[in-house]
Amino acid sequence: MTLRPGTRVRTSSADPDHHTRLPRYLRGQAGEIVYAGREWPLPDDVARGVAAPRAETVYTVRFAAAGLWGTGRHTVLADLWESYLEQADGEGEGEDDGQAGSADDGQAGSQDGGRAGSADDGPQEER
Amino acid sequence: MRRRPGWVSVIRVSRVHDVGGQTGFGPVPEIPGSQDSQPFHADWEARVYALAGVLGRRGLFSGDELRDTIESLPPERYLSASYYERWLEALEILAARKGVA
Repeated sequence: MTLRPGTRVRTSSADPDHHTRLPRYLRGQAGEIVYAGREWPLPDDVARGVAAPRAETVYTVRFAAAGLWGTGRHTVLADLWESYLEQADGEGEGEDDGQAGSADDGQAGSQDGGRAGSADDGPQEER
Repeated sequence: MRRRPGWVSVIRVSRVHDVGGQTGFGPVPEIPGSQDSQPFHADWEARVYALAGVLGRRGLFSGDELRDTIESLPPERYLSASYYERWLEALEILAARKGVA
């Protein structure tokens, strides 16, 4: 899969228990592909000494600062490996209330809140 | 563990190093020609840097393994240590883990 520039994406909300290049402030956020770069070994695999680390396309992704922090008119660019991203086109479709249809940064904020609260995927070990 | 809506439990948030975008640290100082523009503040720091480079090139660990080890330091150690103190502590951990210490 190669995501084309302009593709709307959402970053993973997972919090892995190892080195990763998806910083906390970009977790579960809506962004847009700016550039599809070359493939690089996935740092998450390399950090764990995986014998054959996955090689994935690294994308430059643009985020609205206001979506990340609730304020700011600038955008933030980050280089992110493909497995940190899922395509967000059509997100909100199929929901009956009209509000969800017009997904944009303002709404993304509240979605994030909801996700963070309910994201109980993958039981993290309690340490 | 019970969770209130909109709250996240501490075990679900990042390790201590992941402070990017966090407020309260003030602006990043940018002082050309100052002490902070020097790569090392003491000779031992340069030696730690060189040691990490040599051990890495010998295949003892990858750069991402070193990063992972630094990020895994206990929070109280991570926050009280200087940049190269973290490197040194991670090197000690990796050397012991790989059986070369």
